[in-house]
Amino acid sequence: MSYLEYHAKSVPTGWRKILYLHWPLILLLTAISSIGFLILYSVAGGSLTPWSQAQMERFVLGVSVMFIVAMVPIWFWRNMSVLAFLFALALLLMVEFFGVSSKGAQRWIDLGFMRLQPSEVAKIALVMVLAAYYDWLPVRKTSKPFWVIIPVLITLVPTAIVLRQPDLGTALLLMITGGAVMFAAGVHWAYFATVVAAGAGMIVAVFQSRGTTWQLLQDYQYRRIDTFLDPSRDPLGAGYNIAQSKIALGSGGWTGRGFMQGTQTRLNFLPEKQTDFIFTTLAEELGFLGGSALLLLYVLVILFCLGAALRMKDRFSALLVMGVSFTFFLFFAVNMSMVMGLAPVVGVPLPLVSYGGSAMLVLLAAFGLVQSAHVHRPR
Amino acid sequence: MIRKPLRPLALVLEARAAGQNPKDIERENIRARQEQARDASRSRAESRLLVLLLTFLSLFGLVAFQMGVLALSDASEPTSSYSGPSIVAQRGNIVDREGRILATNIDTYSLYATPQDMVDPEMAAKGLVEIFPELEEQDLLRWFTGKRKFLWVKKKLSPEQKQAVQDLGEPGLKFGPRELRLYPNGSLAAHVLGGASFGREDVAAAEVVGVAGVEKTFDDFLRDPARAGEPLQLTIDLSIQSAVERVLQGGMTLMNAKGAAAILMDVNTGEIVSLVSLPDFDPNERPPLPTSGSPTDSPLFNRAVQGVYELGSTFKIFAAAQAIDLGLVTPDTMIDIRGPLKWGKFRITDFKNYGNELSVYDIIKKSSNIGTARLALQIGAERQQDFLRALGFDEKTSVEMVEAKGGKPKWPSDWQDISTITVSYGHGISVTPMHLAAGYATLANGGYRVTPTLLKQDYPQRGPRVISPETSRQVREMLRAVVKEGTATFGDVEGYAVGGKTGTADKAKENGGGYYEDRVISTFASVFPAYDPKYVLIVTMDEPELATEIEPKRTAGWTAVPIAAEIITRVAPLLGLRPEIEPKPQTGVTGASN
Repeated sequence: MSYLEYHAKSVPTGWRKILYLHWPLILLLTAISSIGFLILYSVAGGSLTPWSQAQMERFVLGVSVMFIVAMVPIWFWRNMSVLAFLFALALLLMVEFFGVSSKGAQRWIDLGFMRLQPSEVAKIALVMVLAAYYDWLPVRKTSKPFWVIIPVLITLVPTAIVLRQPDLGTALLLMITGGAVMFAAGVHWAYFATVVAAGAGMIVAVFQSRGTTWQLLQDYQYRRIDTFLDPSRDPLGAGYNIAQSKIALGSGGWTGRGFMQGTQTRLNFLPEKQTDFIFTTLAEELGFLGGSALLLLYVLVILFCLGAALRMKDRFSALLVMGVSFTFFLFFAVNMSMVMGLAPVVGVPLPLVSYGGSAMLVLLAAFGLVQSAHVHRPR
Repeated sequence: MIRKPLRPLALVLEARAAGQNPKDIERENIRARQEQARDASRSRAESRLLVLLLTFLSLFGLVAFQMGVLALSDASEPTSSYSGPSIVAQRGNIVDREGRILATNIDTYSLYATPQDMVDPEMAAKGLVEIFPELEEQDLLRWFTGKRKFLWVKKKLSPEQKQAVQDLGEPGLKFGPRELRLYPNGSLAAHVLGGASFGREDVAAAEVVGVAGVEKTFDDFLRDPARAGEPLQLTIDLSIQSAVERVLQGGMTLMNAKGAAAILMDVNTGEIVSLVSLPDFDPNERPPLPTSGSPTDSPLFNRAVQGVYELGSTFKIFAAAQAIDLGLVTPDTMIDIRGPLKWGKFRITDFKNYGNELSVYDIIKKSSNIGTARLALQIGAERQQDFLRALGFDEKTSVEMVEAKGGKPKWPSDWQDISTITVSYGHGISVTPMHLAAGYATLANGGYRVTPTLLKQDYPQRGPRVISPETSRQVREMLRAVVKEGTATFGDVEGYAVGGKTGTADKAKENGGGYYEDRVISTFASVFPAYDPKYVLIVTMDEPELATEIEPKRTAGWTAVPIAAEIITRVAPLLGLRPEIEPKPQTGVTGASN
């Protein structure tokens, strides 16, 4: 029996739970998603089809899932963590066999009504299982080498499977997520210093291996790195996305061209304009002010989550909320950096805004976990 | 760290003494120790969370900063470093006085081959010969399989030919853009425009350079990038030019002439409204320079400004005008014309015997050589030469065509009295029809020297005064009389009061041995309307021979004059002149004109 269950007496029950939900957070998520609907409406040339309406339907579905998850006590989810993790691993393996190929990588499972990206599920499952692990582990053992190896292995299993797809970006994000949870759990900083040093060594090795027989990455991954380092080298090829999105951002200026007035996206200069590069449309049409407004909403989501995490008294809830907000933040940060040319192009959507059901559903379910932790926290 | 014992002996003894359960102390201590550990881990977790929060916020800040930087940046398209053609094309258009296009540019293609890129040279050579029958398949094959890296196949392609070559699908056959000079009116005004061809050329572009006519004269102007798109406007009128060409061509055929020229010029401004020289050519396909025969027979030879001819009796009016202007005679002064006039070994005769004496007026009207010679002798060689110089007959015309530089007048090498006599009736001096046009314009416009030009003038030219307005008026009346009652009666066009003077000169033999008896240059120099001249029209026929009459007619009155009349009939309405009733001559001046 955990500390949490011990104090369960003070937890609201039944329909009263609805009153104890983190309503400001729900409002924020709705606001961000609504911006997404608007932009998708604009990208489609002022039409609800093909994207905006489908996105709204998924949002309703996702919010329903979020409420259901929030109603279930958090200790149930803690007990389910390992199962969830195994389920995610199974999904990842299924991709290997039944996956749908899309743009050179097998990343999707067709569920009939939507296509699921198991790597999204894996991120949340990883956060859950690591949070449960540190909830179970006595605090004084946290930094013992043996007890550090175990979560590292837990992290590396899905990472390895994702790398085989091959999806370098998601693999890196999984590792960073796992590392973040371990960091928040209080593992000694020396471990992280070691990993960072090893990572730097790896980068050197990756570049050294290029063109040799033991080449570590795919050619397209090298090209992406090259393009990232100097996008102007190939403005019509590999650097096209970044060059065009920079044009869009630049032409938007401070206040933008006005809603539905963007030219870059409207004239189809931008690929993936409704998914990963949707922020360029927003920046072109609504300008720096619109972009900053969206940024502010994301900052508030993170602040609310971390504020909630600080009030959690058990480790599982705190680490889970922290992990979910970190996952959310990673989506945002990687996508924005990619769009603005700060990071290589990896297929990461702008959370809740980009068209695509998989990420939205998983994120909203994850926020359901956050809500559950918030509702069921001891008072 | 010094651990606090869970069961401190002193406290246990104390508790025992007090009758309490010492295990309570141990439990209490364990609880405290656990709380302490939890607090430690909590504070550590909180500090870790704060570190993460700071990381988040700094990354958010970085994204926001980058967003601001991009929002401030100018949206600029990525550009490639392709360098454009080094030869700047785009030659200015040439338009007529109404702004209608005389010369413009079209984009076309050249065809070149890079044999090292050839996939199938045999197929390429075969295909090219089918498209361009003038090419030799063997030559092409030899070039395509040879060592040359580059060779021109065709300099100009039509769009259809380009498509056909493209359909061959041979990667070694390539196209270069070409700007081609196009003269959409074909041979119309060919001698004025001249023509253009390629100068420096490379695969990306070719320089279009003027080779003749105004294209060459204004080459720098037309190629000046600073004037890009600004057309060169000429004084030529497209419709009038077309009418004059058509009539002159018909007349030339009718008169069996081997060449003809016509100049229509504004007598006040010197603007050349029409300039024709036949035979002509199509400037789009400018013929090569002749390698054999007389260059003056080439279609490229511009008779109007290049051809220097003895223009015969058309010169008589200059002698009469000068004599009147000097006050030596009046139009009514009677001149002894008994012939033949002997001067040294020369005998001057008239076409036929006009009697013992004629007034100056009648000398012009009847075109008496002897009478004109008497006037010239009164004027004297020196004053005669001064007068001809004043009219510009001693130098090349400055009309804006490179060919005008070839039209240098020929004067007698040794000007003796006999020269004074012959020059007065147009022999022994050769000028171009353009000189004659300028001279007649000067006589007709009130006496101001006129310089012919192809560029539009905003105001009438007021060159140096050559004769007085009164002389000019009397000259016009004499010219009018020539058409009304004299040698050019075919030249009368009702309503336009044509005045003029004919001239028929035997052609000098090319080898210098005297004159042909049956080859003439017949010329009609006219002004209209005679009472208020607006235009001067010169028509010159080279070796005309009207065979429809009983005996062949070559004189200007039979050849050049009717053609000039037809031209005036056609173009006067186009020039905006309306037929008018001729005012009566002023009384007292031409009383003798019965």
